[in-house]
Amino acid sequence: MDTAVIPISNLQLAFTVLLVLIAGGISAFLRLGLLRALVWGTVRTFVQLTLVGYALVYIFKINNFWLVLAVITLMCYVAAKTAVKRTPNVPDYPTALAFLSLLASTYLAGSIVTGLIITPDPWYEARIVIPIFGMILGNTMNGIALSLDRLYSEVRSRAAEIEARLTFGATPWEAAHSTVREALRAGMTPTINSLMVVGLVSLPGMMTGQILGGADPRDAVRYQIVVMLMITAAVATGCLIMVGFSYRKLFDRDGALQPFVRQSRK
Amino acid sequence: MLFNFVHLSYTLGTDRIREVTVSGSVDGGAVLVVRGPSGAGKSTLLRILARLQTCISGEVLLKGRSWREIPGTEWRSEVHYMAQKPVIFDGSVADNLAVPFESRVLREKKCFDREQAKAYLEGLMLSTPGFMQQDARTLSGGEAARLVFARALLVGPSVLLLDEPAAPLDGKSREAFYRVLTGWLKSSGRVAVLVSHDGDHKYLERFSFLDITV
Repeated sequence: MDTAVIPISNLQLAFTVLLVLIAGGISAFLRLGLLRALVWGTVRTFVQLTLVGYALVYIFKINNFWLVLAVITLMCYVAAKTAVKRTPNVPDYPTALAFLSLLASTYLAGSIVTGLIITPDPWYEARIVIPIFGMILGNTMNGIALSLDRLYSEVRSRAAEIEARLTFGATPWEAAHSTVREALRAGMTPTINSLMVVGLVSLPGMMTGQILGGADPRDAVRYQIVVMLMITAAVATGCLIMVGFSYRKLFDRDGALQPFVRQSRK
Repeated sequence: MLFNFVHLSYTLGTDRIREVTVSGSVDGGAVLVVRGPSGAGKSTLLRILARLQTCISGEVLLKGRSWREIPGTEWRSEVHYMAQKPVIFDGSVADNLAVPFESRVLREKKCFDREQAKAYLEGLMLSTPGFMQQDARTLSGGEAARLVFARALLVGPSVLLLDEPAAPLDGKSREAFYRVLTGWLKSSGRVAVLVSHDGDHKYLERFSFLDITV
């Protein structure tokens, strides 16, 4: 296997406009009102990815430990900020806590992968570390958003039960632990489900990329296994930190439910 | 006085505009009947007494001890609030009666007494065969109201805070309800605070009124 990446020239890339036209044609024909979003999304895809491409070339060339650290931390911050859009049930989304849980879970899983499994040289090799951490982050972001959202919606819909448990002398944990479990399950289920169907229903993007890049599919599969399992570990830790710290905020210092939980959503 | 509250101030509604200040006290074995028009803050008062909600100022004393000296979990099992809408958990009637004993504070004091539970249910006219095994979610409104009352008694509080507990009950079951409540109050160190629109005090032996005006 010595087939390298077949490069895409500018002209060839320009042909992707055809693909946009297909989606645009459907939207225009059925008046879906998506045309503006489609055009804007296409432009952003081109601009963002082109910039990232150049930035990565630069970062890979410098390959400095502190720069890698800074880039990953920045990625965590952006992910923490973005996750808020996926939590319609959470009135005061805790960006700082999201950042903390993403940072901790990503570094935990990422360090195991780069330090123990892939072991690049140097161990902070940007070409390996940044994509690996990026993949972990994208999935963990969705996981924590899902679990936090579920925590709030469950607590709201079961406020009467939780409060009844409080009247039996339950601590906030005793009153809410089944809800906390439900929230963790919600955050982790998509990842665990993807472990079941991977390779059967879909070829994951990373593996596809490696194969297109000329890698032996058997090697690509090994990487994919590592990636799937590291994502699972990171999602589990991320959700645990997120929900573990968040559930207490649904109660006041005296251990009673916060008033907003019992009120209608604003 | 077994249970009293002094200059308890709290606001009503989400806009928190109206402020209410009340004081009251109950002696052992008696019932404090809270009266007032809808929206006067009767339910809110009960929730504050149970420490499910905060107030602006004031103090509540149980057997002479301030609520500041007692942790929330212990307080809430001693000053037990029964919500207006009966809260039913997934599972059978027996499961529902045992739910309170999942909390540590209560487990340290006592364990679930099935015989006692049966006795309460019988007093409340809920002793049809197989009732304990029935799915609690399928109970009628009146049955659910009496089930949660039996559960509240099993919690074994000193103070029962009852928010229109007999509203879904008709003639005979309402009488049974108050008979059980009166019997429960006969043991020493027990009081109840009762919110009630209607003339239910006629079923009570020892009671006093607390009127909240708008």
